[in-house]
Parts: sequence; structure tokens; C-alpha cells
Amino acid sequence: MTTEPINAADTEFIDRLVAHYVANQGLIRRFLESVHVQIADAIVDPEPLSKLVHSVKRRMKDPSHLKDKLIRKFAAAQRLGTRPDITQENLFVRINDLGGYRILHLHTRQMGELHNALLPLLDQAQCDLFEPPFANIWDEESRAYFEGIGIRTEVNPRLYSSVHYVIQPRSATRITCEIQVRTLADEIWGEIDHSINYPHEHENVACREQIRALARVASSCSRLVDSIVASHRDWLERRPETQEHNEAGGDGA
Amino acid sequence: MVDANTESSRGRAIRLAIFNHKGGVGKTTLNVNIAAALASLGKRILLVDSDPQCNLTAYLIEETVVDDLLDNSDSDNGKTIWSALRPVVEGRGDVRAVAPIERLPNVFVLPGDIRLSEFEQELSPMWGECFQRKPRGFRGTAALSQLVGYLTSQHDIDFVFYDAGPNIGALNRALLLDCDYFIVPAACDLFSIRALKTLGHTLVGWMSDWKTIVELAPTGVPLLPGRPVFLGYIPQRFRVYGGDVASSYARYLPRIERSVTSDLVTVLRRVNPALAPRSGSDSELGQIKDFGTIANAAQAQGSPMKDVSAGTPEQRNDAEHAFLEIAQKIIARTS
Repeated sequence: MTTEPINAADTEFIDRLVAHYVANQGLIRRFLESVHVQIADAIVDPEPLSKLVHSVKRRMKDPSHLKDKLIRKFAAAQRLGTRPDITQENLFVRINDLGGYRILHLHTRQMGELHNALLPLLDQAQCDLFEPPFANIWDEESRAYFEGIGIRTEVNPRLYSSVHYVIQPRSATRITCEIQVRTLADEIWGEIDHSINYPHEHENVACREQIRALARVASSCSRLVDSIVASHRDWLERRPETQEHNEAGGDGA
Repeated sequence: MVDANTESSRGRAIRLAIFNHKGGVGKTTLNVNIAAALASLGKRILLVDSDPQCNLTAYLIEETVVDDLLDNSDSDNGKTIWSALRPVVEGRGDVRAVAPIERLPNVFVLPGDIRLSEFEQELSPMWGECFQRKPRGFRGTAALSQLVGYLTSQHDIDFVFYDAGPNIGALNRALLLDCDYFIVPAACDLFSIRALKTLGHTLVGWMSDWKTIVELAPTGVPLLPGRPVFLGYIPQRFRVYGGDVASSYARYLPRIERSVTSDLVTVLRRVNPALAPRSGSDSELGQIKDFGTIANAAQAQGSPMKDVSAGTPEQRNDAEHAFLEIAQKIIARTS
């Protein structure tokens, strides 16, 4: 792990920002809980979302991780001779993942339906989107899929895959939280990468290489589930009983 | 039926609660007599019987009339506080406006109801729903406030007094957070003084929770002001002999003042100095001695003490003077 060079005034400023977060994190936690109540109600069987969502997780950012993130931002700006526009007043809208919510599902092509179900749910939870959602992608096939369902994409060179929604409460207070939606296979990659390779890349080349290879395995796994589900649906539609049922004027349900 | 509780629908009336969760400190007697004194000074008062025990209603309204009110409170033309709040409890809509009864000149009473406890039972989960940012929680929590806002504008009311039951439950939380001011009655006994410690911390907890709720409240939901200011305390029911406070009671008066300073004023000022604008020693609103026979007769006759047909003219005059002095201080401190 490398320590970024940063001047004393910035260090003190960052400590104040972190203290401000610690003093006010209850508000973000409350907001996150209010979103959770709404989502948790919607993923109970037999609600439609229960067929799409495997599980949910939520967490508040550890203050030491926020400090680390701010140091990196200030150090990067210092190298460019600038200063990040982060103050106590705008901290909760400049840093969007202080409260984090994660929705896990089985395969990528569920995302269109999930996206369409999630937007009215967020509206019901009295939330607005702080910015348009976007998908972190690193391959052309994924780009085409997400753009096809109306979600913009951003290439992630670290091979991270996840759709991000930054939300804010429809209220007088300006705070944000981040919802990450990803497949279970991408969750395996994300958890491994986050625990040993992020935010500072692993010093061991084998670990770094294997984590990049794991991204491809995880991606292939999600892709394979897409394919199996599509094949199964196709088989269901083509089998003789279904066709007879359709020809006999079935209800088509 | 009643508009959302915007600034304008809150109206100009000042809302108060005479509150101490220790029971038997004479809250109802204070409410009735202070209201009568304010009315004699030209003010229009709404007394809201917000205690399911209905002591205020029993004090001011004849038993047969109360019986009739309670029998019909469930009907569409019911006249009690429950009749007004029932649509909210049953999820059928907003509060229903009911007409308060003008029981003394310029003193209107919104009759209580034993079934108000059903509303209170709903208020507890509604508080949780406010934290969950669900509009239903806000509509329920502010329902009584909206009703009072409507009634005060309909009847051109100057002062609202909530008669609160002796507890720190969800109903009292909602109405204290709706109050502009609160007054603490303190009897000369150990438990009444000890209750002040809980009172200060409870109020601060409620205000702090409500502040969080407001910060995350969805736009457009009805809100409570959530900032009741400590207007003063009233030591009462002590005995007087030959013009002096009886010694057994005299030792309690400084203890009450000390407790008001350390358990209320200091605790409130730590949150916001404006919540307790006067020091403990400056915040006494007046003293109510034990008026003995005329206090009991007043309850039995449903009148303020000054108008009761019992005791001596001197006693009645004494009582009238004591409550007038408090009423004048209330007007001065709230204007």
C-alpha cells in the first residue's frame, strides 16, 4: 500500500470532512433504511421483483475508507495543481457512496426488467435520481445490451461490472446514496477485488493477474446463465405441448 | 376535509400544553382556570381534551351530555376528538372537522374520548413510518395539529391548550411537538420533582428525532413545528397558614426551582438556548396554593374557581387573582 503525498493543511481539512461525516452519518443511515424498507417490501415472494432479485445488502462507508478516498482525491488534484471542490456543505453530494445499497441478481439480461421495476419503487420511496444511472462495462456486448435498454455505459479499465444509481431523498436536505446492481458472479469478483486489490493495486503480480482473469470467468458465468435461461425459454416456447396449447386458442398467459 | 398543515393553515393561535407526566399535579384544574382567566382578559381559548381519560371533559361538561357525546362519537355527526380523528385511524382520509362546544364565554372545548387511545395506538407505528419517509406516517402524526389548525381559524382562537395525559406516549409526543410553548405544573412532592429529570431528556429526545425526520421528510407532507419553548413552571397545591407557606411545603419550593434549572432549563439550552429563554428562577409563572373546598367544588360544578358557589368570597377572589396573574404572564411571554 502506498501513501499519497499530501500537505498538512489538506490533511487537517480532510480530518474535518471525515469528522463531519461521522457526526452526520445518522442522517444518511436513516435515508438508506427508508429505501431498504421500500425495497425489502417489494422483494417478498410473490411480488414481481422477488423473481428478479436474489438478495440485497447495505452498508455505511467506514470513516477510514472515506479518509483514504479523500486523500487520493486531494493528492490527484495536487499533482495537477488544483484542489477538489469538496467542502462540508457539499460532501454528501460530492461523495455518493457514503451509504451503499446493493441488489444482487442472477444474470445480466434481467437488468432491463429490474431497471423498469426499480424506478417506480424509488419514486414510491420518495427518492429522485441524482444523476442518470450508468453501467460500468468493459466489453462491447455488454455496452450494446445496456445501451439497448436505455442505460448509459462507462468503460471501467479495472474490469468492474455493476449498474450504479445515485439517489437523493425528495426533501430539503441534500444527501445522496448509491445503489449498485450486479450479478452474483460479479459480486464474487467485486468482493475479492475490493478486499485485496482496491483502492491500492496488489503488489503481487500473480494476485493482480488472477483477479483480472477472475473478472472474465465471472463475466462468462453471468453470460452462460443468460444463455441457459434464453435456451430454456426458447425450448419452452417450441415444445409440442406449448404449440398445441397455442393452436387450441390458449389464454397465452 | 382539512387542508395540509402549511404555514397558513396553522393559523395565528398560540398552542400550549400544561405538561408533566407525573399524574395528579392538577393539569386539568390549571387548564380550566387559566383558560377562564385568559377569556376574562378578552382572549378566545380552545381547550383540547387530548387525554383518553377525559378529565377535562368530565370537569366542564355535564355527565349526561358526556354520555351522549361518547355514545355518538362513532357516528358521522360525532362531536368528540375521536370523531374527528377516526377517518385517519381507519385510513379513510383526513381528519373530519367537528364543532367545539363553547362551554364558558370565549372558552371552547373539544370533547375528549376514551377511544382516543385507539388513535394513540396507531401513532406509534406512524412515528416509525415518519423515519421511513412514508407520507402516511406524517399525515397521522400531524392529524391532530391539522384539526386544531382548522378549529382555531374557524373560531378565531388566540390560545390553544392541550390537556395532556400523564405519560410520555406517542400522543403526547405528537402534541408537544405541535406546541409553541409548554408549561410545567409541579406539585410539592418528591415524585413530581423527580419527574422533571425524565421530562427534560424526553423532550430533547423527541425534538432531536423530529429534526432528523424533518430533514428527510418528503416534500409536501404535513409537518409539526417540533420546537416547544419552556414558558414556565407553576408550583401548586401547597398549604398556606396565616399568609405563609406551611413549612412542610416551603422546603419543596426551592427544590422545584433547582430541579427546573438543572433538569429542564440547562438540558433544553444545551440543544438551543431559545428553548428556555428564562433562567430557572425567572421562569416561575405563579404559584397556586391549595384552595381546598373551592377547588373540589369547582370540579363538581364544572366552573372555574372564581365562579364557584362554595368557600368564602375571599378564597374565590384569591383564586381569581392567582390565575389572572398567570394569564397575564402567559400573554406577556408569548407576545
